Amino acid sequence: MRNINFTKYKYFTLSFSFLAIVFGFAVTFGKYGGFAHSLDFNGGLRTVVELPADKSRSDLDGYFQSKNIEAVVILLEKEKNIYQLDIGLGSLDTIETLYKEIPEANRESSTSAIDRFVQLLRYEYKLPKEKVLSADQVGAVVGGELTEVGITLLLTTLAIILLYLSIRSQFKFALASSIALVHDILMTLALIGFLQIKPSVPIIAALLTLLGYSINDKIVVFDRIRENAHGKDNLALSNIINVSITQTLGRTINTSFTTMISVVAIIVGGAVELYDFAFVLLFGVIVGTYSSIYIAAPISEIYDQLRKKRFA
Amino acid sequence: MQSYRLLILPFLILAVSFTILYPNFADRTLKIVVREDVYSLPEANQKELVNALFDRWAKDYGKTSGWTIEPQGALPPKENPFYTVKGRFITSAKINQISQENQSLVSESKNKLEPTWIEETIRGGKSLSIKLGLDLQGGMRVVLKGDFDDYTSKLKDLYAKELTELNLTLSNPATKPEDKEKAKSRLAEIESSFDLSPMRKIVELEKAKMIIDNRLTTQNLTEPQVRIQKEQDAIEVSLPGVSNSAAILEILQNTETVEYRLEEPTPFLYKSQIADNERRMMDLGKRENTDIFLFQELVKNKAGKKAQDEFLEGLEKKYNIPKDFKVYAMWARGNAAKSALLPRSFVVLERKIALSGNDMTNAQPSYNSNSYGWMVSFTLTPNGAEKFFDLTSQNRGRNLAIVWGDKVISNPVINDPIAGGRAEISGSFSEQEAIRLANVISEGALPIPLSVLEMRFIGPTLGIESIEVGVKAVAIGFFLVMVYMIFYYRLGGFIADLSLLVNLIILAALLTLMDFTLTLPGIAGIILTAGMAVDANVIIYERIREEIEEGRALSIAVTRGFENAFWTIMDANVTTLIAGILMIRLGNGPIKGFAITLCWGIVTTLFTSLFLSRLFMELTVNRIGVHHLNLRPFFFGKKETTNA
Repeated sequence: MRNINFTKYKYFTLSFSFLAIVFGFAVTFGKYGGFAHSLDFNGGLRTVVELPADKSRSDLDGYFQSKNIEAVVILLEKEKNIYQLDIGLGSLDTIETLYKEIPEANRESSTSAIDRFVQLLRYEYKLPKEKVLSADQVGAVVGGELTEVGITLLLTTLAIILLYLSIRSQFKFALASSIALVHDILMTLALIGFLQIKPSVPIIAALLTLLGYSINDKIVVFDRIRENAHGKDNLALSNIINVSITQTLGRTINTSFTTMISVVAIIVGGAVELYDFAFVLLFGVIVGTYSSIYIAAPISEIYDQLRKKRFA
Repeated sequence: MQSYRLLILPFLILAVSFTILYPNFADRTLKIVVREDVYSLPEANQKELVNALFDRWAKDYGKTSGWTIEPQGALPPKENPFYTVKGRFITSAKINQISQENQSLVSESKNKLEPTWIEETIRGGKSLSIKLGLDLQGGMRVVLKGDFDDYTSKLKDLYAKELTELNLTLSNPATKPEDKEKAKSRLAEIESSFDLSPMRKIVELEKAKMIIDNRLTTQNLTEPQVRIQKEQDAIEVSLPGVSNSAAILEILQNTETVEYRLEEPTPFLYKSQIADNERRMMDLGKRENTDIFLFQELVKNKAGKKAQDEFLEGLEKKYNIPKDFKVYAMWARGNAAKSALLPRSFVVLERKIALSGNDMTNAQPSYNSNSYGWMVSFTLTPNGAEKFFDLTSQNRGRNLAIVWGDKVISNPVINDPIAGGRAEISGSFSEQEAIRLANVISEGALPIPLSVLEMRFIGPTLGIESIEVGVKAVAIGFFLVMVYMIFYYRLGGFIADLSLLVNLIILAALLTLMDFTLTLPGIAGIILTAGMAVDANVIIYERIREEIEEGRALSIAVTRGFENAFWTIMDANVTTLIAGILMIRLGNGPIKGFAITLCWGIVTTLFTSLFLSRLFMELTVNRIGVHHLNLRPFFFGKKETTNA
C-alpha cells in the first residue's frame, strides 16, 4: 500500500487549528460579547399558547424575526396547534419597546416582563385570554453550575486519560491524545460561539458525544502507532506515524462515515429542534477525525523530537 | 472458542432481555378509577362528565391508538367503579393526560396499570417498561411554595429554653454587667435568626431542594428537574411521565421531622393530671368524652395536621400546662397484629428540642427477631454524639421521647449515658413505617413546609414533531449503517449487524432493569454506543483483512485478527468508560443521563464485539465451513481467495 505523508503538513495544520480557535473565540467575545443566551442556561420567558388553526410555525418564526426577538418556537401538540415559545432574556428590551406601541385600549398596565409579552402576543394574534395556556418567567435549568461541573469534569477526565494511556503505552501518546481532545472541544466551542448557536441540553449531549467519539478515535490510531513503534526506537517516529495512519485510514473513514450517516439522517430528516444537536455532532466527528491525524500524531512526533534533542 | 455449545450463552442472554423488554410491547390493562363523589351527582352532571371523557377519547385515542375502553359511553357500575382500557404502548404520560383532562370524573391517584405476568414474577408487580424523560414525553410540573411562618415558629421552639433563660438573666438585678452584655448579644443573635432575609430564604430553599432531590431519587425517578424560583420563594419540580401525582406530592411535601425531647421530670405532674381526668371520665362511663377518644376520632376522620395541633393546644390550656412544656400524643398499635397506629395516651414533653434530626444520619431499618418488630438504627454526627452523651449522662432516670412528625413513638427511660454515636429507635413499626422513618432520618426533613402553588401536566420540551422525526431519522440512520456494513464487509458486515442488534437489545434490557429514564442525552449516549460498536467490528475486520492479505489461512487470520484488535478495543472502551464513570459521579441531569447509557453501552459493546462477533465469525469459518471470506466492498473490492 502506498504510504501517505501525513506529518509533512504538521506545522500548517497546527497553526491552522490554533488560528481557527483564536478567531472563533475572538469573534464570540469581541463581536457578540460571549456565547448566545438561551433559556436552558440563562432563563427567560416561557409561554404556551394555542394558536388559531390558520397560523403555523412559519408565521411565528417570521413575526419574531421581523421584530428582532430571540425566540425558540416548539410545536407541542399538532392537532390543537399548541406552541411553546421560549424568549431569551436578551430580548426583554425589545419587548418593552413593542409593548409601548400597543394601543392604550388593548393593554392592561403591568410591569412584569412576562405579562407584557403575553399582552403583546395576544394583541398580535388576537388571542382570547384562555388561549394563553401558561406563561412563566423561568430560571435556568442548567447554567453556572453546569459550566463549573463541566470544567472540573473535563480536567479530571483528561488527567485520568493521561494516566491510563501513560501506563498502557507511552507518555507522549497520552499527552498528544489529551491535547487533541482539548483541541476538539475548543474548536467546537469556537464554532458554537462563532455561529451563536444557543447552548442547550441537546448541545451538551452533542459535546459529550463528540468527546467520547474523539477519545475512541485517538486511541485506535495511537494503538497502531504504538504497535508499529514497538522495538523500533531508532526509526524516525514520523515514518511510523505515517505508516500507521495509512494502515488505519480505511477504518477511520469507515467509522467516521457510519457515524455521520446517523447524524446526517437527523439533519436531513428535519427535526427542527434537533438540528443544532446534529450539526454540532457532525462538526465534532469531522474535527475529531481530523485532529487524530493532523493534531495528535504530529504533537507526539514533535514531543519525541524535542526529547531526543535533549538527550542527544 | 469454536463450539456450538457456546451459543447457549448469547441465546440465554437474549431470551432474558426479550423477557424484560416484553412489557413494553405487551397488551396491557389500565384501570381508570372513577371518583366516588361522581355517583352522588345529579344524572345530568354525570352524563356531562362522561360525554366529555368520551368525546376526547374518540378524538385522541379512538381511531389511531387501537385502544379499547369499557364500558363504552357510560358510567361504570358503582360496585366496580372503573373503566378498563386495553391496548399496547399505554404510557404513563397518556394516563396522566386522560386523568388531568377529566379531573372531576377520574380519581387519578388510584389509576392502575395492571402489571404483566412478567413484572409480577420478576419484580413483584413493579413496572418494567422503559421510562421516557420530560423532554421526550412530558410529565408533571409542580410548583411548591415555602411557608416561612411555620419555619420561624419551629425555630422559636428550638431556642425556647435559651430565650427564657436569657430573659431571666437580663431581668435579674443581681446579674453582673458583663454577663448582661453577653446575654444581650446572644439574644440579639438568636432574634436575628428569626428574621428571614431573602438570602436566608434562598439558603433554606436550597436545603429543601437537596432533600427533594434525594427523595425523588429513592422513588426511582432518575431525571427529575428541581429548581428554585427565587421570585416567588418557590421550588419547581418537573417529573417526567409521572402518573401517580398524589402519591408523589405527598412525598415531596412531607415535612416530618425526627427529634428527641425530654419528658417532664418525675413524678409526671402534668401527665398524671390528664390521666386522672381521663380515668374519671371512664369511671363515669363516658368513654366517648375522654380526650384520647376525641383525638382518635380526629385522626380517624383525617382532620389534618392543623386540627390535631389545635386540639393539643386546647389541652395545654385546659390543664394549665406551663409554656416550657408541650402536650403530645403517644402513638402505638393495639394488641392485634394488624391494628392501626393510633394515639393511645398523652405525654408532656419539654418544648425545647433536645436533639434534632440534623444530628442523626445513616439510618437503617432492621428486623428485631427478639421482639418480632421493626426498628431503626442510626449514626449520630460527631456533634450529635457529643450532645447525646451529655444529654443521657445529665438526665439519668428521666424519659427521653422520640417524636416523629407529631407523634411520640417511644419514650424509653435513660438508664446509662450513651456514648459511641450509634443508637436505635424501637416502636411498634410496620416494615413500611420503619423504612419511612429511616428515610426521614437519612435524608433529613424539609426545613420549611411546602404548599402546592401550581400543579399541571406539561408537554414534552422537545416538540412532538421533532421527536417523531428524530426517532425516524435515528432508525433510518441505523438501517443505513447496517446496509453499509453489509455492502462493505459482506458476510462480515452481516455478522457485525447481528451483534449490533444484540448489543442494543441487551442494552435496552439493562437500562429497563435499572429503572433508567430515557432522555435526549440518553439517546445520544446510545448513538455513541452504536458508533463505537460498529467501530470495534471495523477494527477487527481491517485486522483480519490484513492477515488475509499477508497470505494466512482463513481460520488463523480470523483468530489473529481478533487477537490484534483486542487491546485496541479494550483501550478505547476502557478510557471512555473511565470518562463515563466520572461523568456519572460528577455530573448531574443531562450529563448523568448520557453517561449512564454510555457506560452500560460500553459493557454490552465489549461483550458483543469481543465475544459474540468472534463466536459467530469462528463458527462461520470453522464449523459451517465458509472457505472464502471477502472483506472488500461489493463492486470495488478486488477478489481475494484464501485457503482454509
